[in-house]
Amino acid sequence: MPKNITIFTTNTCAYCVMVKKWLNAKGFSYEEVNLDQDPSRQSEALELSGALTVPVTVVTKADDSRDVIVGYNLSQLAPAVS
Amino acid sequence: MAEREIHDVVIVGAGPAALSAAIYTTREDIDTVIYEKGVIGGLAAVTDWVDNYPGFAQGVAGMELAESLQKQAERFGTDIRLGEVLSIHDEGELKRLETTDGEVYARTILITTGSDYKKLGIPGESEYYARGVHYCATCDGAFYRDKRVVVVGGGNSAVQEAMFLTKFVSHIDLLVRSDKFRASEILQEELKKHTDKITVHFNTTTDEIIGENGKVTKVVGTDKKTNKKVEFPTDGVFVFIGLKPNTQFLKDSDVLLDEIGMVITNAYLETNVKGVFAAGDVRSGATMQIASATGEGATAALMIRKYLEPHHM
Repeated sequence: MPKNITIFTTNTCAYCVMVKKWLNAKGFSYEEVNLDQDPSRQSEALELSGALTVPVTVVTKADDSRDVIVGYNLSQLAPAVS
Repeated sequence: MAEREIHDVVIVGAGPAALSAAIYTTREDIDTVIYEKGVIGGLAAVTDWVDNYPGFAQGVAGMELAESLQKQAERFGTDIRLGEVLSIHDEGELKRLETTDGEVYARTILITTGSDYKKLGIPGESEYYARGVHYCATCDGAFYRDKRVVVVGGGNSAVQEAMFLTKFVSHIDLLVRSDKFRASEILQEELKKHTDKITVHFNTTTDEIIGENGKVTKVVGTDKKTNKKVEFPTDGVFVFIGLKPNTQFLKDSDVLLDEIGMVITNAYLETNVKGVFAAGDVRSGATMQIASATGEGATAALMIRKYLEPHHM
């Protein structure tokens, strides 16, 4: 079980909606960072992912190790939260 | 032996054609499952604004339209699963589908996998993917506040997404390979309101994306009239050069595709394989319009109902 999940999103990103829907369906809670509302955190998303895109999902595990998933990618997201 | 999971209809893809079909089938108690590997709502959901879908006097956000279609389908009992159909196999009365969640069987299949944006296939494109090269303005536009971008394409998507990007960027070079737009007249008229930010370059090919220190710095193209190289300094490139059908999962099936990989159907939207139907952007001859896709979805649902009647209903 992850210790914490953070998703970087924007208002118009449909793939972000899908990540949230999938996490909701699996019963995971998460913190959302909306980059339209908080553009100052864009550099944080870029630094974590190396990509100029959203969604970026950061899964922090019990041992504080982190998985960073770029995009709506269930083949990476599912094992990261398991 | 484990009991097989059998449904009246399995719909592959959850775009407007699929959701429209599911509204019709589930409303008539036809057991319906949808598999979606990407975004519910398909390309419509990642489109900033839909201005020509009937019933919305002022237009509607693509994401809002997609959510509304989803809710309507779910209200009647559609089971939408977030997974991928890997292949389909015709076994006569039943069709077998290999999915990422295991095997399921269906009396009928509706293929509504739509299309995805084409890639340019030029140097630098894959190297800078998501780090300067993008295919979704609504997802990635916000990273280009007050920056310059290049948009490639001359169709509806290119023009519409370029206009969407003006919310963020300082300037757009719009590179159009042809001597005119393929985009609709109304979008071309709308584009004229953005001449302060968008410069259109007709007869210009896009040949290479160049960067330094991991960042895109320029696009190199060719002016087809002079045959000279032209350079466009930029921070990012957004590519909208047309669509390719999502039919890779059909490559080992008997379903006939046309020369560009779209699914061939008859007038009843049935493929050459009995009980396998197709609708929307994936269908050969599709008009690539959301209104057409929802109409085809409804038609396919009625054809599926008719097909199922003598079989078990």
